Amino acid sequence: MTIQANPNIPDEVRAVAADGTQLRYALMGMARAMDNVIALGRGDPDLDTPPHIVAAAKAAIRAGRSGPTPVKGMEELRAAIAEHMHEVNGLPVAADNVMVTTGGQEGLFLAIQALIDPGDEILVPDPRYSSYDDAISRAGGVMVSVPTNRDDAFNLEAEAVEAAITPASKALLIVTPSNPTAGIVTEDRLRAIADVAIRHNLIIIVDEIYGKIVYPPWRHFSIGSLPGMAERTITLDAFSKTYAMTGWRCGYAAAPADVIDAMARIKQVTTGPVATVSQWAGLAAISGPQDCVADYLKIYSERRAVLLDGLDRMGFAYGEPRGGLFVWADCSATGIHATELSYLLLKEGRVLVFPGTAFGERWREYVRITMLEPIDTLREAVERMLPVLARYGL
Amino acid sequence: MNTPKSLARPLAQRVAGLADPRQPAAATPDLPASVIEAATSALDRGETHYTDRPGIPEFRAWVADHLRERFNVSVDPAEVTITCGSTEARYVCMTLLAEAGGSVLCPGDSGPIRGALHLVGASVVDSIQDGISLLYITPDVYRETSVELLQRAEETDWWIVYDLSFAKTDPPFHPAQNPKLASRVITINSLSDQLAGWRLGWMAGSEMALRLRAGKQAITICTTAVSQWAGLEWLRSAE
Repeated sequence: MTIQANPNIPDEVRAVAADGTQLRYALMGMARAMDNVIALGRGDPDLDTPPHIVAAAKAAIRAGRSGPTPVKGMEELRAAIAEHMHEVNGLPVAADNVMVTTGGQEGLFLAIQALIDPGDEILVPDPRYSSYDDAISRAGGVMVSVPTNRDDAFNLEAEAVEAAITPASKALLIVTPSNPTAGIVTEDRLRAIADVAIRHNLIIIVDEIYGKIVYPPWRHFSIGSLPGMAERTITLDAFSKTYAMTGWRCGYAAAPADVIDAMARIKQVTTGPVATVSQWAGLAAISGPQDCVADYLKIYSERRAVLLDGLDRMGFAYGEPRGGLFVWADCSATGIHATELSYLLLKEGRVLVFPGTAFGERWREYVRITMLEPIDTLREAVERMLPVLARYGL
Repeated sequence: MNTPKSLARPLAQRVAGLADPRQPAAATPDLPASVIEAATSALDRGETHYTDRPGIPEFRAWVADHLRERFNVSVDPAEVTITCGSTEARYVCMTLLAEAGGSVLCPGDSGPIRGALHLVGASVVDSIQDGISLLYITPDVYRETSVELLQRAEETDWWIVYDLSFAKTDPPFHPAQNPKLASRVITINSLSDQLAGWRLGWMAGSEMALRLRAGKQAITICTTAVSQWAGLEWLRSAE
């Protein structure tokens, strides 16, 4: 399967096809220029930030509690995050082990800057969220892919990790649930990976931003809670997805205290503290009622069922989406390169999905579809995609 | 509970060259009522999602208008990116415009860029020498010094960052007024004095604008939505 010489593919897509991040932005830009597009591309929850969180932010604004905070974040928020990560995730952390970040993506950037010297290798599951590439390259690190596959629901194997280790390996990045695959790394696998990490003295950076969006019977597990892992694990999370708070830009990291100190030094000269209003919102989110988390999970579960039914009708295969907000669908039955297919679905069906090549070069037979639209809209998206696929022989 | 103090492996070497974070300023000015209203109204409207990655269009348009009206400098709103304070703008500029092993010429206070340059692996110099890729100037630099360096910039391929963040008032002078330099000038400014804690700044202009935007996106994706609406109102009300 190669990009066909299809004159439908505009230069602005073809020109950035090799850069996953820019490819996503190019498609989003084209979608914005069209009418009536159903956007199942980017990972921005359509649900609103819960009212009690918005109310807390408004109260802080009105009370004049919006002045600058320490770069690590407000003490009360750091303490609340530490308590939450101890109680919910089982991490042995206190406030000194926690800092607030400007979203989860910055947390990864800071962690890599704090850990990776030029030439250090960092193992990354394939496929991957392509924004990792920039963070790693800025530090002079070398990304080494660790394969995952659909037959295993994109779970990560300790054997595959160990096979990728070289004397230059310093860290392993784990994303669970995964963006883009929606696979999770199960507890048994994490225990095996922890053994590998201890034996090879690897640092684990684990992105758990979708950790509270896991579909039963599957459950999230934090590798940092395992014996011997606290001193070698940086756990990243954010309020963005769990509480539909993407625009607040508020996340957090938990790590050994010296790592947090290092990340704070870097944050001081790169972005500064998180906006204070967002921190008050974050405090309300993590210490307030959690019914909204269960409510949102129920909504996503219902959407997931609709989307999977639609994919079955399209003849697309997929690994079981066990967590997160995406379905990673195998479109090889179409015989069309994923970049081209994404463009055709946008142009002819007015449905935006992201091609697999935006998440790794070899994923030209996959597309990432979000479930971040109401059920009726998802149903309509399926109905729009079916005739496009039929026109191309599927 | 034994909480982890130290990582099992050494930290990256770059960390050692960075200072401990400063404590925040103790006092912050009261917010104008219109800013409070703008911020809370934005939240009521549901402005809690990612904004356009470079920032809300209204804010970017304001920056472009301001540069034109105040300095007679032409910048397209598409060349404006709203950042998490001017700190992020400076860091992004340094990562893209300074080179590892190279130098940044700074005739004034280099404090605001030293940390970012340390991460990049570049150094600061205060006089002309080989290896310079970027001239960083602020309005407080003695005017004749700036003029001399900008004349030299015309003969080179230096990029120019003009940082207005620490100016108490906008000066009349702007290096992008020189058409030979305009495509290489990035303007930085912030609202840190007026809206401390809201983390708002911006970078505008130059042929590098879209790459600068991508550089910001790669770190923080976009700037806090409610902060942008609050900042826009502050700027409009101050006019």
